[in-house]
Amino acid sequence: MSFDDHTPLLRVQNLVKEFKQSARKQFRAVDDVGFDLSQRETLGVVGESGSGKSTTARMVARLIDPTSGSIEFQGEDVTTRTGAALRHFRGNVQVVFQDPYSSLNPRHTVEQIISAPLRYQGRKVSGGYRKAVKEAMDRVGLNPDHSARHPMQFSGGQAQRIGIARALAVEPKLVICDEAVSALDVSVQAQVLDLLRDLQREHDFSYIFVAHDLAVVRQIAHKVAVMSAGRLVEQGPRDAIFDNPQHEYTRTLLSAVPRINPEWESARKSRDEGNLTASSGN
Amino acid sequence: MKLTTAPEPDGRIGAMLSVEGLTVTFPALGSRVIDDINFTIEKGKTIGLVGESGSGKSMTSLAIMGLLPEGAAVEGSVSYWGEQLLGNPDSAMRRLRGDRIAMIFQDPLSSLNPYFTVGFQIAEAYRTHRGGSRRQARGVAVEAMRQVRIPDAERRVDHYPHQFSGGMRQRVMIAMALVCQPDLIIADEPTTALDVTVQAQILTLMSDLQDSTGAGMLFITHDLAVVSDVADSIVVMQRGKTVEQGTAEAIFSWPESDYTRALLAATPRLDDIVDLPEPLRGTR
Amino acid sequence: MTLLPYLSKRFLASVITLLAVIFLTFAVFFWLTPDPAANICGQTCTPDQIHAIREQLGLNQPFLKQFWAFLAGIFAGRAYGAGATAVQCSAPCIGFSFQSGTNVLTTIISRLPVTISLAAGAAVLWLLVGISGGMISAVKKGTWWDRGAMMVSLGGISLPNYFVALVLQYLLVVKLKLLPFPTLVPFSENPSGWFKAYLMPWIVLALMYAATYARLIRANMLDTMGENFMRTARAKGLAPAPILFRHALRPSLTPVVSLFGVEFATLLGGALITETVFGLSGVGKLAYDAIQSNDQPVIMGVTLVAAFAVIIANLLVDLAYSVLDPRVRVASR
Repeated sequence: MSFDDHTPLLRVQNLVKEFKQSARKQFRAVDDVGFDLSQRETLGVVGESGSGKSTTARMVARLIDPTSGSIEFQGEDVTTRTGAALRHFRGNVQVVFQDPYSSLNPRHTVEQIISAPLRYQGRKVSGGYRKAVKEAMDRVGLNPDHSARHPMQFSGGQAQRIGIARALAVEPKLVICDEAVSALDVSVQAQVLDLLRDLQREHDFSYIFVAHDLAVVRQIAHKVAVMSAGRLVEQGPRDAIFDNPQHEYTRTLLSAVPRINPEWESARKSRDEGNLTASSGN
Repeated sequence: MKLTTAPEPDGRIGAMLSVEGLTVTFPALGSRVIDDINFTIEKGKTIGLVGESGSGKSMTSLAIMGLLPEGAAVEGSVSYWGEQLLGNPDSAMRRLRGDRIAMIFQDPLSSLNPYFTVGFQIAEAYRTHRGGSRRQARGVAVEAMRQVRIPDAERRVDHYPHQFSGGMRQRVMIAMALVCQPDLIIADEPTTALDVTVQAQILTLMSDLQDSTGAGMLFITHDLAVVSDVADSIVVMQRGKTVEQGTAEAIFSWPESDYTRALLAATPRLDDIVDLPEPLRGTR
Repeated sequence: MTLLPYLSKRFLASVITLLAVIFLTFAVFFWLTPDPAANICGQTCTPDQIHAIREQLGLNQPFLKQFWAFLAGIFAGRAYGAGATAVQCSAPCIGFSFQSGTNVLTTIISRLPVTISLAAGAAVLWLLVGISGGMISAVKKGTWWDRGAMMVSLGGISLPNYFVALVLQYLLVVKLKLLPFPTLVPFSENPSGWFKAYLMPWIVLALMYAATYARLIRANMLDTMGENFMRTARAKGLAPAPILFRHALRPSLTPVVSLFGVEFATLLGGALITETVFGLSGVGKLAYDAIQSNDQPVIMGVTLVAAFAVIIANLLVDLAYSVLDPRVRVASR
């Protein structure tokens, strides 16, 4: 890898996606979106339905082709790549989707699912694919003995871990999480977020984390991009966006998020601390 | 057009809705989905039923309405103004459903019949229980849509569900539930499928409507933040059992069970400061 | 309004399809059938006579000229031959049968009432039986009624209808003597006789279709009954009847209506086997006889009329769909 210290891992500029609505009208799902992303960094992309956040993420993954704009990965333009060059790019960018039961082939075994990207990329793995699969399962907290099972035999959180294992089997630089924890129970969600953070720490992954839940995004993002009706209304470091939002829409969004009564929260915290000091005093 | 109010039952004994020892099993499958649930709902008050998937919270609402799937065995007691609902024949339950006890479901798009106008579906709820001509019922539907703050109701009453946005569709469902002025509203994850700004509007609307109609509410959700705002008392469920119950303040300020604490700890907060790995090649 | 441009596009497509069908039919008969002139002439024919007939019919012309003559004839009528022996065929002319000496279209039209009576009566029967059978099966899914009905319907679909026709005739006419042997009388003369004559053909024809519709309705209704809006209907306190007939049936009917339109139109081209077995002189029997005697213009004429009916039906069905399904009719937000 020979790009200098100032080239970000990913640079997206003026990204536009238009869909044909009728014979004459075009619909702009994404309107002039741009951002940078460094290695080992997470960009949270937030917005409500119709904001274009998923479309943007999928364009970066080249699952959808942009109408115009540029995507630069490791200093190279990948916006219009095709064929072998595109496949090479895909080895570096993987996606984890929202619903593992519909995004993972239910007729395949876990082994087939996790090893598929390795096969398509034609990677040679010392020890063979089976070993790589078991290692990947271990890394995400799945029992490697279950590699012959099918996704439907796992709980929601575990099935999502299969999706994550599949994404990291090829050791990508960038993983796009498209509402990856939205369908999970809150306790499982917390575990999967922990896992994602740990994996980032160990393997230097970068994430584009698309979510509608702002509180969740706060748990994982270094920087946040706020989208509305296809446009990027505000972006910045996490704390700046959450604690000092500039754009009116961001403020509206943040104020709409339901919060647990703060009085009750502090009452609980002080009791817990009180109990701690009380017990440590014994 | 004034909504006609159903006469209050006289000689009311006990609470509006009293659930005691409710247990639901599926003998053929050998599973127990609800195990000894107890709570009371008074008019004007909201009980929050909180739990993750598989907790049995949705099943509880179906048990109260008598809408459990085939093969369910129910024990315990569910009484409405002293009248026992469990074991009631369907013909008797039908008179209560939509009239005295109404339900609001999670996904308004799939919960409304795409082949009929929203006005028809709202009016249908009214005509089933109050009768009246089609024109009368249409007027009632328009008024109900106005009550839930759908703009341009006179025109939109003839629109189809797919012509509304998600938030507007949920308002239609609320209008449909309220049209006979029920005593009890059961809301099963009513805002889970909605955008956060829309969710805020719908929750405000539901609270205002509850104030003006005096109805009691059973609010089912997995979202602790939402329930803390909405509920007077909370029942925390896990795998069919009650883990903890009490006033909202009690549950949040001094939670006693480990499960409740775990849920609270796992719930992401908007002002959390989380330790993240340091990005490479420095950013701002 | 997006409906009008859509419909005009469909109309144009239908016209093009019809032209293509006319061309294809003409081409097939042109290349694959034996010399029609020799056929008309008969056994004792001299080559001169054959040639004369060929001249009269314009059969010595190149293919495209013949096709053009045919196509023009549909709009403007045509004359076969010239001078005193010319045969006039007034517009719309889809052919002239020299075997029987009649305008093909006139012949077909004279046979239509029988075919329409047959198709319409069978349609009423199969819709009633099919839809109610399917509904009952869906509601009583898994019970003996359901399984029995589906087995009977499987039989109805797989048994060839000439077999059913013959068995039914044998049973009802010969063995049980419940019905007289079908002899056709016009409705205006003898309504009860008319009804008795058509009853068995109706049953035979309806059996096959009713079976298909029952299965289709059953499948659609089972899908619909699992939808969330059914749960809402129950939660509103609706009685079982409106839940079933209003909320469950309505969505299930839409695909059936479109199927019905096309299938009924196909029948207007003649239920060949049924008509022949029961001796009804409808369009189907006409085609059968023409095939036997190799009367080309008639065979071609019936083919064209049948194709025309189906193309029109297709267009109407598309129109109906846009009316029946609100999601197609009105653009969503």
